Amino acid sequence: MNSKQIKQENIRNFSIIAHIDHGKSTLADRILEITGAISKREMVDQVLDSMDLERERGITIKLNAVSLNYHLNDEEYILNLIDTPGHVDFSYEVSRSLAACEGAILVVDATQGIEAQTLANLYLAMNADLKIIPVINKIDLPNANIPKVKEELKKVLGFKEEEIILCSGKTGEGVKDLIETIIKEVPAPKINNNKPLRALIFDSYFDPYKGVVALVKVVDGSLKEKDEILFMATNTSFEVTELGVRTPKEKHLKELVCGDVGYVVAAIKDISSVHVGDTITLVNNKASEPIHGYKPMKPMVYSGIFPVEPNKYGALKEAFLKLKLNDAALTIEPETSDALGFGFRVGFLGLLHMDIITTRIDREFSIPVITTSPSVVYHVTLTNGEKIEVDSPNKMPEAVKIKEIEEPFIYTNIIVPSDYIGSIMELCQNKRGIYKSLEYIDETRVNIHYEIPLSEVVYDFFDKLKSYTKGYASFDYEICGYKVSSLVKMNILLNGEIVDALSIIVHKDFAYQRGKAIVNKLKEVIPRQLFQIPIQASIGSKVIARETISAMHKNVLAKCYGGDITRKRKLLEKQKEGKKRMKMVGNVEVPQEAFLSILSGDEK
Amino acid sequence: MRAVYIHIPFCKTICSYCDFCKMFYYERWSSKYLIKLKEEIEDLYDGDEIKSIYIGGGTPSSLNINEIKYLMNIIKTFKTTSNFEFTFECNLNDINEELLTVLKQNKVNRLSIGIQSFQKEILNVLGRNHTFQEAKEKMALIRSFGFKNVNLDLIYAVKGQTLKMLKEDLKLFLKLNPDHISTYSLMILPNTLLWLKGTSSISEELDAKMYFYICKELSKKGFKHYEISNFAKNNKESIHNLTYWNNEEYYGFGLSASGYLDQIRYSNTKNLNKYLKGDYRANEELLTKKDIMDNELMLGFRKIAGINRVEFEKKYHIKMEDAYPIKPLLKNGDLEEKKEYIFISRDKLYVMNEILLKMI
Repeated sequence: MNSKQIKQENIRNFSIIAHIDHGKSTLADRILEITGAISKREMVDQVLDSMDLERERGITIKLNAVSLNYHLNDEEYILNLIDTPGHVDFSYEVSRSLAACEGAILVVDATQGIEAQTLANLYLAMNADLKIIPVINKIDLPNANIPKVKEELKKVLGFKEEEIILCSGKTGEGVKDLIETIIKEVPAPKINNNKPLRALIFDSYFDPYKGVVALVKVVDGSLKEKDEILFMATNTSFEVTELGVRTPKEKHLKELVCGDVGYVVAAIKDISSVHVGDTITLVNNKASEPIHGYKPMKPMVYSGIFPVEPNKYGALKEAFLKLKLNDAALTIEPETSDALGFGFRVGFLGLLHMDIITTRIDREFSIPVITTSPSVVYHVTLTNGEKIEVDSPNKMPEAVKIKEIEEPFIYTNIIVPSDYIGSIMELCQNKRGIYKSLEYIDETRVNIHYEIPLSEVVYDFFDKLKSYTKGYASFDYEICGYKVSSLVKMNILLNGEIVDALSIIVHKDFAYQRGKAIVNKLKEVIPRQLFQIPIQASIGSKVIARETISAMHKNVLAKCYGGDITRKRKLLEKQKEGKKRMKMVGNVEVPQEAFLSILSGDEK
Repeated sequence: MRAVYIHIPFCKTICSYCDFCKMFYYERWSSKYLIKLKEEIEDLYDGDEIKSIYIGGGTPSSLNINEIKYLMNIIKTFKTTSNFEFTFECNLNDINEELLTVLKQNKVNRLSIGIQSFQKEILNVLGRNHTFQEAKEKMALIRSFGFKNVNLDLIYAVKGQTLKMLKEDLKLFLKLNPDHISTYSLMILPNTLLWLKGTSSISEELDAKMYFYICKELSKKGFKHYEISNFAKNNKESIHNLTYWNNEEYYGFGLSASGYLDQIRYSNTKNLNKYLKGDYRANEELLTKKDIMDNELMLGFRKIAGINRVEFEKKYHIKMEDAYPIKPLLKNGDLEEKKEYIFISRDKLYVMNEILLKMI
């Protein structure tokens, strides 16, 4: 296939957007199968989600794009399916993928109806000015309620009855109809063959043989092998060594033309020179303006990551560098902690991103690490007028030097059955939320909008939301700006010594209960030792909560069973292994989970 | 010199706390079992001189008298020292003249009886049933046969037990005038009845209180506290158990038995069918010098006297303090020294795993 043999007006670029678990990936698999990109035999479920972790969690972390061929009414069409990650952490990446499309399929689960991410994604698609095709999926399920979901799509989102397509990604029913609707309804990309090249980067990944591979959509002009290209945001230039499309296997081409979605390789070693959202142009025939909408990605959440065994520092550094090859959003800088030694301050797009990275370090690199409680980025104005950004409680200046502290707030979409309005309001109020508005989706469901400090979401909002609503709530958010808050730094002391890795920033009015919750939790997770250990929470020099771990009294096997020494030995080895996963803080052995216990303390 | 352990996996009742390899006594199995046991011994025994034989279980006394005679015949295979120790574990209810006659004739010179407690509530939890009066009568019978070395097992730290109940038990145990007491702080082990019932443990604090009470009380009554949980009168320290704690070699015969021969620690299968097919071994591990030295510490520090550093150096050609961080632990009070011996401080004995983990 060469895209030039197919008319440019027969190109369709589209994404599938949906709430988590509404069947997006299964539907994509079916589309790949029906267009013949993959035979049934080759079919591994959810081809587009290629990382194990993605399959496990049922979410897409990294984007992918495939070019599909379809024959309709004697015409050959190219369908470029651009997958999007389904999590709020990656909403910027979603917006860039959508910017590469002219249409989007909005998938709604026939058994669930509209959820928070349905709306969040839809808004992103509307901002990108896409033609939206509403699809009700999973119609094969016995508990599908098609009329109700149709009603929601019509009433809440303003679609017309005849626009809505019914299908099942599982059985394939309606998928052919969907594909043909895409061809009919989604406009072809605008053709500007004669303008200087502009290609939008919507994803990138690292290939050990080729270097960085950028996934692009050619918006204006065309791109050929050996072209000298320029990344407009970073102002760096490279020579194209290879380009082509993914079908989903990589297929070499001589040229990508206007409207095409494909990949570009240019012997680029460092992924941080390829920014998602940046525009590629030609050095010799430069576009005057980059494509609108580029933002450098900024971490929202920072956490300290330390090797449990100090001699693994080098290995951990290697691991981060490898992960960073494929993850431009990850920021890493060295950090030193009195309690935990040498490690890294790592910036993430959000909590899921953080969870993915720490899991991969454990799984792929087998390095046991301690992760400290995540922190948002605070904007601090000092008494001398200077403004600084603080991403760690330990970088917070002394209270007397601070004029005011601002913290990031989010704007929520919380969709719940209306019975839970009271619970949600109570929860948001407890999380320092500011009520904004409430909309009814239908007679039984509402969308509740609050502004809540991001730090509260980082804390235990997800768990609380689940328990307050028995799991019925769906939640999505966007960052809506910074507000002044009355915040203080709280220290935790073990055996009289401040443990820097346990310090947190907390709102004054919540300090007492948070302190109490944390010392209680620490009492639970720190095992008894040979001596008594006081645990204290303090603000400045004032102790606001205290607990004591009593000394250990007993731990021997009193009898030596029938001479089975091996068994006793194994027990001891196991205990020793357990100790390896602990960190000596002063003379106290602290298990890893203690450093995250700050997140899960229950304030009752 | 080696010792011999022989496992008899049969019981007439199953105790709620027991996680040894055992099954209900059933003559068709026990007779076959003894035949295979004989073969195993004939296969493995080197003909070397033995200093101790210990028949444990299960309940060795659950075998019928002919089986016990057969077992005693097997044991004649062993070449023994003149002053060897020969222990037979008995259930109180199984003790009678006939049994004692056979044991005495066959040179058994030490009996170990699993009394555990005399408190009704505790016996209920443990799934046992006997009275002090019965024990007193059996003890008299045993003595009348001339057995001069009797061990009684005592279990404590049982859910519902108070310090007062333990004191009462200890008083009754002492009235029976045993030569040796093995104490056992109850552990709820996986796949025991107690575990299946979800029985909880008592608090660490009370457990430790009980332990230190036992140590104090038995010392007062003339018992030598010679190992964490073992107490002996008149130099009746168990030769057999000291074999383990001295990290010396021993044969293990029978279902699930473990042994230590030529630097190999092995354990037998727990599967009776396999055993009866002659498929005795379940696993073997050849120890490195480091393993052996670690074991020396793990086992040796159970002894109150501790480890003889001179003997250690003779055995391993390295000074104990060069192989392990002994000095800092002497300094911080975890360890103490007296002449050639290094031992764990009395007050740290009950948390000795912690000390061991600092060394190995």
